[in-house]
Amino acid sequence: MQLKDRIAQGLESGWKVTDGATLTENRTLEADVVVIGTGAGGGTTAEILAKSGLSVILVEEGRLYYQKDFKMDELSAYASLYQEGMSRVTKDGAIAVLQGRCVGGSTTVNWTSSFRTPDATLNYWAERFGLDALAPDAMAPWFDGREQRHNMEPWAVKPNVNNDILRQGCDQLGYSWQVIPRNVKGCWNLGYCGVGCPTNAKQGALLTTVPGALDNDAHLIHGLRADKLVMNQDRIDHLQASAMAADGITPSGITVTLKARHFVAAASAIGTPGLLLRSDIPDPHNRIGKRSFIHPVNACVAEMPEKVEPFYGAPQSIYSDHFNFSGGVDGPVGYKLEVPPLHPAMSSGVIPGHGDTQINTMARLPWMNSVIALLRDGFHPDSPGGTIGLRDDGSPYLDYPVTDYLWDGLRRAFHTMAEIQFAAGAKRVRLMHLDSDWYTTLADAKAAIDQLPMELHRVRLFTAHQMGGCGMGANPEESVVNGFGEHHHVGNLSVHDASIFPTSIGANPQLSVYALSARNSTRLANRLKT
Amino acid sequence: MNDQSEVRSTSSDCANLDRRSFLKTGLGGAIFLGTVSATAGLSGCSSTPAGRVSAVGTRMDASYEFRFLTADDIQLFEALLPAIVGPGLPEQPQARRIAIAGTIERIDAGIHNFGPANQKELRRLFDLLNFGLTRVTIARVWSSWPKVTTEEADAFLERWRTSGIGLFNNGYIALTKISNVAFYGYEDFWHLSGYPGPPQWAVDALPQFQNA
Repeated sequence: MQLKDRIAQGLESGWKVTDGATLTENRTLEADVVVIGTGAGGGTTAEILAKSGLSVILVEEGRLYYQKDFKMDELSAYASLYQEGMSRVTKDGAIAVLQGRCVGGSTTVNWTSSFRTPDATLNYWAERFGLDALAPDAMAPWFDGREQRHNMEPWAVKPNVNNDILRQGCDQLGYSWQVIPRNVKGCWNLGYCGVGCPTNAKQGALLTTVPGALDNDAHLIHGLRADKLVMNQDRIDHLQASAMAADGITPSGITVTLKARHFVAAASAIGTPGLLLRSDIPDPHNRIGKRSFIHPVNACVAEMPEKVEPFYGAPQSIYSDHFNFSGGVDGPVGYKLEVPPLHPAMSSGVIPGHGDTQINTMARLPWMNSVIALLRDGFHPDSPGGTIGLRDDGSPYLDYPVTDYLWDGLRRAFHTMAEIQFAAGAKRVRLMHLDSDWYTTLADAKAAIDQLPMELHRVRLFTAHQMGGCGMGANPEESVVNGFGEHHHVGNLSVHDASIFPTSIGANPQLSVYALSARNSTRLANRLKT
Repeated sequence: MNDQSEVRSTSSDCANLDRRSFLKTGLGGAIFLGTVSATAGLSGCSSTPAGRVSAVGTRMDASYEFRFLTADDIQLFEALLPAIVGPGLPEQPQARRIAIAGTIERIDAGIHNFGPANQKELRRLFDLLNFGLTRVTIARVWSSWPKVTTEEADAFLERWRTSGIGLFNNGYIALTKISNVAFYGYEDFWHLSGYPGPPQWAVDALPQFQNA
């Protein structure tokens, strides 16, 4: 049991942590490196650089929340820990975007699934983007290292019923399934990963790399929004940042100027392209913000004969890659199958409906299972991804068109999910689609899936994995950074987050971000020390 | 578009706006939504948060300070919530009013955390629904919201749910999602989803729940 709180102890011991809301006058600070973002990429980078003896300032737009704040309550957690209070959507409103906004970034609220980048993905990157140095053998030691750092191991405890239904359905149908590796230490198997781990079991950036950086004299400023990287000739001179008031939303009017030799953007695949676009970073081939990928997600719910209690237990422990690469790496879009946890607020927001229909559905929550499909976007010419742009106020938006190629995959995924749920004994199945009824037989469900319109808004779509937008590649004409995350045109700028992925991953991306950031930060530390 | 004669404006919905400026614009487009909001704002329609609503009528707790919802928005949700979450509301009239008022407060608190971009989108949507002419022509709701019955509110929601126009589907999702989450997600109504709450043994064992 992990009852000693690492953050509370660190703050007592004199960590350099500044809450932007407490600043009363404009300030200028200086360090060797400024790291923007404290998630999987920023935390890893800050720890490695600080341990190498470099002075580091960590900038986080969200606020510092830790065990004392994690009370297993959906409404308060969604309001404080997620981007736009969990209301973030794509530009046309059709895809809900789940993304963290707090110290630790999305690793503070993710469901702990920890996958290596699939070999097929790395090989595709080598072939298509000239990223031979990221071949599976070369990356293996970095995955090993990060798996140790974050305590990632296949979940040894029995899966909860929600996950076991995916296993049973796959078994019945002869589909392959595996146990999910999770980044936890002494997990209580409660089921509240998504609202901030209440027991300090989750080994996300918040409890590993961020404390590691702070132990090595890094300075964390949270509640501070990175507005603009300001260039002086061909180098970045400083970062201009705005302090946020204590509500975490309203700028207080106080600005902070951060000077450094080197700048690392790790503000997420929406935040980093947004920052670079606001900063007018040289972009001769107009690549910043292009090729954004999201693992588009669709979902089915099922009513099971036995109680599922999908709100309890490790939220993700079983997955199936049976359909992920079965059509080849660049054939018809593949999808990974997983299970989401279902708590009342999340469920009532995800399942579309109102009135009697909604309450009758919600009343069956204890018997409900859900399966989700995560589409592996970006591996085919008909899946070019979305675009990050800027609103009038400078905030970034994600415009993500859903192509026919993806609709085909979403329809196939609906078929597969319904098959699995009925094979596992579902009494009835409902698609997350505005027109879907409950279907009591597989035949009815399949007929509906073939006939229902696959259209924006009608099909409920989600993303919890934002990737791309500052893609890496050997050719500067089609990428933003090189294979080490170094900007092609600005010598003292690196990108260490999921925005450098040239396609989606085909798996939950946190370990991919940790490993690439560790590799690229190790190189950066050597570079900056000589 | 031919239903102008049916407009029954109330004093609060700024019916004096130039109707032609609306009708010149294509119905159902995002540009149109923008126009409603901009015009409403320019004409001094209430776009200011309701602040502390006095403890009269349906609202019991005047200590809550509204930061986003206007007085018109509150009436809109008082009309819509019985259709969205009505079957879960208590039957006893006073308890029912309190439950609706509390849900509207949580909707407001939630929207405050949405930040400026999504607040702007919701402002457009709420203005469209509150402004008499667009309420009638776009939402096809003939009465002002305080006079709308639960059946009429449900019919409106069904029209937007089943509409072939994505923008209306999006509006349906926005209205029902924020309402459902603020209602079913709140502790007092967890029982409606058979959710017992966080395991008591864990609550008892964890330091953050002690000496609250």
